[in-house]
Amino acid sequence: MTGLAVDDAAWASAWRTRSPVDKLVLCAGLVVCALVLPVWPGGVLVALAAVLLALGPARVPARTFGRAVRWPLAFVAVGAVTAVVSVDGGGLGWAPDAAVRAGELVGHSVAGGAAVLLLATTTPMSDLLPAMRRLRVPGAVVEVASVTYRLLFVLLESLHTIREAQTARMGHSSLRRSYRSSGVLAAAVLTRSWDRARRMQEGLAGRGMETGLRVLPEARPSSPAFLAATATGLAALVVLGVLA
Amino acid sequence: MHIAEGFLPAPHAIGWTVAAAPFVVHGARAVVKEVREHPESTLLLGAAGAFTFVLSAIKLPSVTGSSSHPTGTGAGAVLFRPPVMALLGTVVLLFQALLLAHGGLTTLGANAFAFAVVGPWAGYGAYRLARGLGAGLLPGVFVALALADLATYVTTSLQLALAFPDAASGLAGAAAKFLGVFALTQVPLAVAEGLLGVLLFRVLTVNARPELERLGVLRPATAEETAEETAEEVR
Repeated sequence: MTGLAVDDAAWASAWRTRSPVDKLVLCAGLVVCALVLPVWPGGVLVALAAVLLALGPARVPARTFGRAVRWPLAFVAVGAVTAVVSVDGGGLGWAPDAAVRAGELVGHSVAGGAAVLLLATTTPMSDLLPAMRRLRVPGAVVEVASVTYRLLFVLLESLHTIREAQTARMGHSSLRRSYRSSGVLAAAVLTRSWDRARRMQEGLAGRGMETGLRVLPEARPSSPAFLAATATGLAALVVLGVLA
Repeated sequence: MHIAEGFLPAPHAIGWTVAAAPFVVHGARAVVKEVREHPESTLLLGAAGAFTFVLSAIKLPSVTGSSSHPTGTGAGAVLFRPPVMALLGTVVLLFQALLLAHGGLTTLGANAFAFAVVGPWAGYGAYRLARGLGAGLLPGVFVALALADLATYVTTSLQLALAFPDAASGLAGAAAKFLGVFALTQVPLAVAEGLLGVLLFRVLTVNARPELERLGVLRPATAEETAEETAEEVR
């Protein structure tokens, strides 16, 4: 357990060993379809495809998938309602065809969100970051992002531990104390992150790090069958979405 | 709250990505240069990114009783400067999209523009202005964090207003609606983030003074000041 449910799901997914490039192609295709195809039937089909692939072959727990969409859904609901309420001369009312517009917004967002979540719950960040090198993102940037990914779990654990200790000592018993404790908590996490970075740096310098953190990437060959199925599936989605 | 995946129409998603790109590329150049000159900075910059992510996971005790989360980019802008935050903020947004399902990939550009560009620059601008007018470190930090938080959500509201103009009152009506829902509700939280910043920096000036001096946030103590402090301690 690392503390982030989506990350745990990605490491445990049945698609973990698939080539990250294959999964990127599939999910990017679904994301684009969700954005540009009309919601009915294109968007609905994209959402269905993403959910079925995640819960079926990729074996992502339904609970993780369901819990992860709660926050974006809250934003989508508030945003969609605000978008279709009409303000005119101080009075509030529904815009013409409000239900259709709200439905379209929710449809695009749910389909796109499901497609991104399919990638997130099947591919750990540490597989995606090396793939970014191929997109010509500078090596130094990918390295900084990799260190961020590896450190954030350590810091999240510190955060929870310190907060638990503060709570046990009545640190969050009143608003005033809660503020004081949160300030100390943030400062402790920041100084710990510096300390961690300094110690890792010293350790790596002792092992002769000069130019960068070079690691051997795991070889995950791309599957022609998976890519062919992706192309066929996406083409079918586009045809159904445009023609229907 | 970031704009969710698929919420912005394609032309807006592309437009905001193009708008955010120069800032993020500029930040990436700054990071590449820094890492080339000082390879050990990779770890410190990674730590700064992880801190920004984790700071946004701290629950903020809000005045109104409900809890919410700070944006964390104001503190980063004061500590590490806005160009670096443009890149680190975008990396954090990517992680939030893929690890927490907050935000999205097609809306990454729009969110980066609000969260990693406008927020840090507004906060840093307010900080420099306050310090220039003779304010101390802590008042400067308060305005920086509060303004970075608020500017982020004002930008998000305006982005949404541009994408969804009101059927009757057009852009102005839409801006009023979205600002009312997403920015006005954020004012108490912006104040709360400012207060958190003051408490954070108060602890840091005691516990991490050398690091703050190295980052240029605090002036290194002169020999006279050190002598005075020592004299006080002796007394």
